Amino acid sequence: MNPGAVKEDVELLRLTGLQDLESLAIIGLSKNAGKTTCLNHIIAAWTESWQRRPLALTSVGRDGESEDILNGNPKPRIYVPMGTLIASAEGALLRSDALLEILELSNIRTALGEVVVCRALSDGYVELAGPSVTDELEAVGKLMRKHEPDCLFIIDGALSRRSQAGCGLSEAAILCVSAETSGNPEILAEKASFALNLLQTPSLPESVAAVFSQELLTTTRKCVIMLSGEELNFSVSVLETPTLVGYGRIVANALTPATTYLFLQGALTDQVVNELLRERNFENLTVVVEDGTRLFINPSNLHKLHEHGIHLAVVNPLDVRLVCLNPTRSNGHTLPSGSVLAEMRKCISVPVVDLGPRTM
Amino acid sequence: MKSSVIITRDLLDEVGLLHILDACQCRSPQGNALKNSAMMYTKQSREALQDELAAIGRLLTLVELDHPQVPEAQIQLARLRELRGTLSRLEKGSLLDDTEFFELKGAFLIFKRLSKMTHLLDAANVSLDDTSSAAALLDPAGTGNPTFHIYSEYSPKLAEIRSRKKELEKEIRQSTGSQRKTLLTQRALIAAEESQEEEMIRQHLGASLAEFLPQIKNCVNSCAILDFRLAKAILAYRWDGCMPTLVEPQSPAVLQNAFHPLIAEMLEKQGLSFTPISIELRKGTTVLSGANMGGKSVALKTTFLALLMTQLGYFPFCESLETPMFDFFAFESSYDGDLHRGLSSFGLEAVQIRNHFRLSQNQTGLILMDEPCRGTKPADATAIVQALSNVYGRSKSTFLIATHYHVKQSPGIRFYQVRGINPDALAELPPYHHGAAKAPDSTGHSAESLSDLFMNLQNEDLSRVRRIQSLMDYRIEETDCQKHAPSGAIKIAELLGVDEELLREMIAVRQED
Repeated sequence: MNPGAVKEDVELLRLTGLQDLESLAIIGLSKNAGKTTCLNHIIAAWTESWQRRPLALTSVGRDGESEDILNGNPKPRIYVPMGTLIASAEGALLRSDALLEILELSNIRTALGEVVVCRALSDGYVELAGPSVTDELEAVGKLMRKHEPDCLFIIDGALSRRSQAGCGLSEAAILCVSAETSGNPEILAEKASFALNLLQTPSLPESVAAVFSQELLTTTRKCVIMLSGEELNFSVSVLETPTLVGYGRIVANALTPATTYLFLQGALTDQVVNELLRERNFENLTVVVEDGTRLFINPSNLHKLHEHGIHLAVVNPLDVRLVCLNPTRSNGHTLPSGSVLAEMRKCISVPVVDLGPRTM
Repeated sequence: MKSSVIITRDLLDEVGLLHILDACQCRSPQGNALKNSAMMYTKQSREALQDELAAIGRLLTLVELDHPQVPEAQIQLARLRELRGTLSRLEKGSLLDDTEFFELKGAFLIFKRLSKMTHLLDAANVSLDDTSSAAALLDPAGTGNPTFHIYSEYSPKLAEIRSRKKELEKEIRQSTGSQRKTLLTQRALIAAEESQEEEMIRQHLGASLAEFLPQIKNCVNSCAILDFRLAKAILAYRWDGCMPTLVEPQSPAVLQNAFHPLIAEMLEKQGLSFTPISIELRKGTTVLSGANMGGKSVALKTTFLALLMTQLGYFPFCESLETPMFDFFAFESSYDGDLHRGLSSFGLEAVQIRNHFRLSQNQTGLILMDEPCRGTKPADATAIVQALSNVYGRSKSTFLIATHYHVKQSPGIRFYQVRGINPDALAELPPYHHGAAKAPDSTGHSAESLSDLFMNLQNEDLSRVRRIQSLMDYRIEETDCQKHAPSGAIKIAELLGVDEELLREMIAVRQED
């Protein structure tokens, strides 16, 4: 175990306040960020502290398989205690060895078959392959709560944080960072800090968020919503675009000097930001996205946005409770955990820990 | 003989049949599959149609009574999953997986609950075979629990394996390090044993369930019929559908106060109401005439919709309807723009005229034509319309034609007319006030901006046009011969402020005619 590792899994509960949560997302900054290891630590902490409430697990995409489907490297498997709820695709369940009682068929299809909601009647290994769309994750969460209203619903992100934590679905999040992001402790700390800041982008004032939420209820297509004028008396205009990429000029042209908030549904990427920054109209306003996982911009673009008087805000704020470090790279090389943790703690305000490896 | 419908996609859209059928919502995949595969009833399947309509009628009574079994059945039907794949695998002897057993267990529960709804089943004239023995196979402990896994009760060997595994899992919980690794390896071996035993149980379970396939299929089929019939009854309830009466082939089709729900809804949004259509269509020709914008096309669409829906096994939207069964339905409209765009309009009409006529030689059809030969020279058009009326007047088919060309009386031809605008009502309208819209100034430019002029047209003239339109009486009535009802066109021109000089000229030309 690494010197900086958290010795007791139960300590994890104290750091994250898991007992008080209804839902949690595990987000990875890169591939092999250590999400599954983190989940295994949570499961162990939950079991060892004799929690009464069951865990309810699903993933965005596939997780818990024994080998990495991309490079064939062995991966930590997920071992759940009896009583845990699982939402996973039929194909993944065939590779699980816990005795699973089928509770519901979700009508949600994935490449590995329909997502099935089960209860583990024994301890055992499970493979998670859940839905990848926010609405479907929400539906799965509801199905699980139907059977266990008190459960702690955990969404395990898949390959990277680009698989969203589920917009507005999770009360809190854990960010997993590995040496895969950078072999240099300073750079790794800087990148982790920047990512964390984006994830924790502040929320809109409640009254403004309510206007967007109301508009989003009536619009199903990817869209752009603009608010102009004064708070409590906004004039709302909507622009429907099939995507954001390639529509920067159209979006900017729809802006007026009176526009105060610009909501962009989907991912705000560097490409979209570059398109918008080329247009004159794009200045002195607040750009709003659904949650911090939708922001994929580099530090230089964030700086340029600030120079144009652009602020960022989210409809659903993410409460990142913990940053977990995995100091090992997929090539086997391991960074000195202690110095990386020290470097990260200098610039990150939430607890940063190395939970160490965890598998059954 | 297969009944057919000859109509372009665009015109079918205008008739609104598909929109209306979309509103007939089945809850189960089985009901939807039945709805999507449903064919038109033929003369040979008249008895089946009569049974279908009677069942819908009985279900409609339960819907009207707000019978509690209606929503309860809908909830159960909505829970039913697509079982075709599972049943086919069961039939082939393939190994079912746990989700398929779960699906079947869920279906058995639904069948059991539905089978208790005797009022509803009797009304729908369906019965569900008893599947309780099959259901018991998937609930060996008899808990009534809807969940599923391969139960330890299936085999003592499985129970013993699981017991060993459970003990080991307890030990694993308390172990650490290398001891845990060893225990996990042991567990993996037991898990493999468990998996093998479960596989054998799945095989036996599948074989045992396969014995109940006839009963399961009966239940699935009955659910589909119940769902579809119930959806039809609810559709009828929504838009006041009536139980149609099927009459002998030589009898006329009689529609009393037929209405078109989609057109009615559209009119309602404009603050207008739909005028129901009553018409008797005997074998032979019925000519419908009347002023432009008098609702002839709407009358045709409403009639076609009602009669076609009946033969598709739905309740038509009428106060009452009697109809014989037709071998084919044909609807041709010269307003059917897309098809005719850029092509010889009469060329395509001629093709349809040929096809309908050939079909009518040995089949009895319902043939509707809306303003045929609209773009043809009046003399030729009059001859063609007369010829069609004469020929179909002698045929066994039912031909309804809306036309403004003159059709002479001849055997087998009957006439209907849209009442149109009553001249007395027009006379009661206040005369046009000449200060309402400003005349262009001497330079030929409007004194106001173009947008102001547009507003004038919107607000002053258009509201007056609407007021005149509201005087239109869309009712149709039978007449002895084709009358040219006074359209009141010149009076309308006067009421809209057409200058006196021009009006005098119009009156003079009319008198010369």
